[in-house]
Amino acid sequence: MSTKPEEILVAAIMAAIALITAANVVTRYLSNISLAFTEEYSVALMIGLALLGSGLAVARGTHIRIPFFIDKLSARGQRIAEAVAMALTILCFALLALHGGKLAYDEWDFEFVSSGLGHPQFLYTMWLPILSLVVIARAALRMVRCLRGHQP
Amino acid sequence: MIGAILFLTFTILLFGGVPIAVALGLAGALAITLADQSIMAMPTNVYSGIAKYPLIAIPMFVLVGSVFDRTGVALRLVQFATAIVGAGRGALASVAVLVAMVIGGISGSGPATSAAVGHVVTKSMVADGYPRSFIAATVAAAAATDILIPPSIAFIIYAVMVPGVSVPAIFMAGMFPGILAGFAIIIPIVIISLVMNFGGQNPSRHALSIWTTFKAAFWGLMAPVVILGGMRTGAFTPTEAAVMAVAYGLIIGFFVYRTLTLRDLYEMLVEAGELSAVIMIVVALASVFAWSLSTLGIVQPVADWVVGLGLGEYGTIALLMVVLILIGMFLDGVSTFLILLPVLIPIANAFQWDLTWFGVILTMKIAIGQFTPPMAVNLMVSCRIAGVPMESTIPWVVWMILAMFVALAMVVAIPDIALWLPRVMGL
Repeated sequence: MSTKPEEILVAAIMAAIALITAANVVTRYLSNISLAFTEEYSVALMIGLALLGSGLAVARGTHIRIPFFIDKLSARGQRIAEAVAMALTILCFALLALHGGKLAYDEWDFEFVSSGLGHPQFLYTMWLPILSLVVIARAALRMVRCLRGHQP
Repeated sequence: MIGAILFLTFTILLFGGVPIAVALGLAGALAITLADQSIMAMPTNVYSGIAKYPLIAIPMFVLVGSVFDRTGVALRLVQFATAIVGAGRGALASVAVLVAMVIGGISGSGPATSAAVGHVVTKSMVADGYPRSFIAATVAAAAATDILIPPSIAFIIYAVMVPGVSVPAIFMAGMFPGILAGFAIIIPIVIISLVMNFGGQNPSRHALSIWTTFKAAFWGLMAPVVILGGMRTGAFTPTEAAVMAVAYGLIIGFFVYRTLTLRDLYEMLVEAGELSAVIMIVVALASVFAWSLSTLGIVQPVADWVVGLGLGEYGTIALLMVVLILIGMFLDGVSTFLILLPVLIPIANAFQWDLTWFGVILTMKIAIGQFTPPMAVNLMVSCRIAGVPMESTIPWVVWMILAMFVALAMVVAIPDIALWLPRVMGL
């Protein structure tokens, strides 16, 4: 499956963070208006970047790891090891999706607001469980490919 | 007991080729569950682990590296440096180190600099009579200075994790140790080249004009000035300085060198976004690991034990040196920091070391680990580009490791090499 949608979103988030920061500098030096509140949006965008980018990195196998011992295995052994690694990746992000979902729900339930702008906090937190699902999907696709006997 | 399970799970997963972020997250989650703590600590720590303003500097500095990589700055720097140094024995190898140091002032990660410099110098160094294994060793060692010369992603992580250390202060503290390390590795490189008769053998080489190459390289040489100057005056935060450098790089790429297209821009955003995400997800899940370490009360006993060994200041630094270089052989600097800092900082506090200086010497140790076989991240990249197995670099790389050790020992003995610059700048 093409990783195009995530790529476009990742590029858009990177551009947004850069533009928000640049706008901050420009307004600070050219006017008295402070855009310091935009910090809250930049920080929230970091969550999206980290998870969507992680999905891309799962699909391409570019996460930081120690390949030294795995590379000594046979081709079949490498595929199995990769499938196991993907299963564990799914487990890790499933924990995040499940409990992150609970976290966002609690914040909605107790009507927490963000410290900077007073927006409902769950509007930021909910992206953690939602985008964890994207990482899970990418890991699942890669795991199935390995189990079917394709090289990862 | 739970502490042992925590480290054992982590190590097994890590050696089994599981992404380090996942290994950290799962080991942390397991320890939290076994200790009957609330698993809600996991999402909470992941969220607050990433949602920090200073961390925004990471994607932006990664983007700076991507932009300058594609503009072709490295090639123009090599031409300029070659025009100055000439074409004698060891000259081009020294050029490679100097260029890696300037690129280090633009980009923030060792393997990225290895790739940028390796792609540009490998072919011309082969034509000039250097063996490929020596080229790979030179590039990897030179690129290791990158995480010391600001900007540095390892320093950003350190400053975010260690209270009381600011990003601009540790950036400036890394400057002289980084330059010292660079010149230290040039010494064995030149001696080996003179003794073994490496370099200066390209018959078709034509002399480059210093002035012409300077004009082409000028814009690249100004990039570190833009980045550091902006932060130095306090005009910009590190993140803002990075964004200014991106704008500067794009202007050079689109209008001065005319090497960039809009397609490149999109690809750079994706590439830098993915690379930053890979770092940030480790940061995020390492905070789960660190939280379980501190909640289980493992950190203080380990720190007390190390302090209680009675090795004294220099003995403890030597011990940490061995441990960090061993780990640095397996892991990149960022991951090493994230895993070990919770234990290292209490040790530093027990000896009342300056935490900025401590960060610099830790980073120097990690830098050495990045080109120490068998699992050095920088060497892996430079060997792939040069097309040689890593073992073949050992006869050359040991001398560069030794040289950087001497540089490290100097910074340990004379902390002012690191601390003088931030002090006079009032950081």
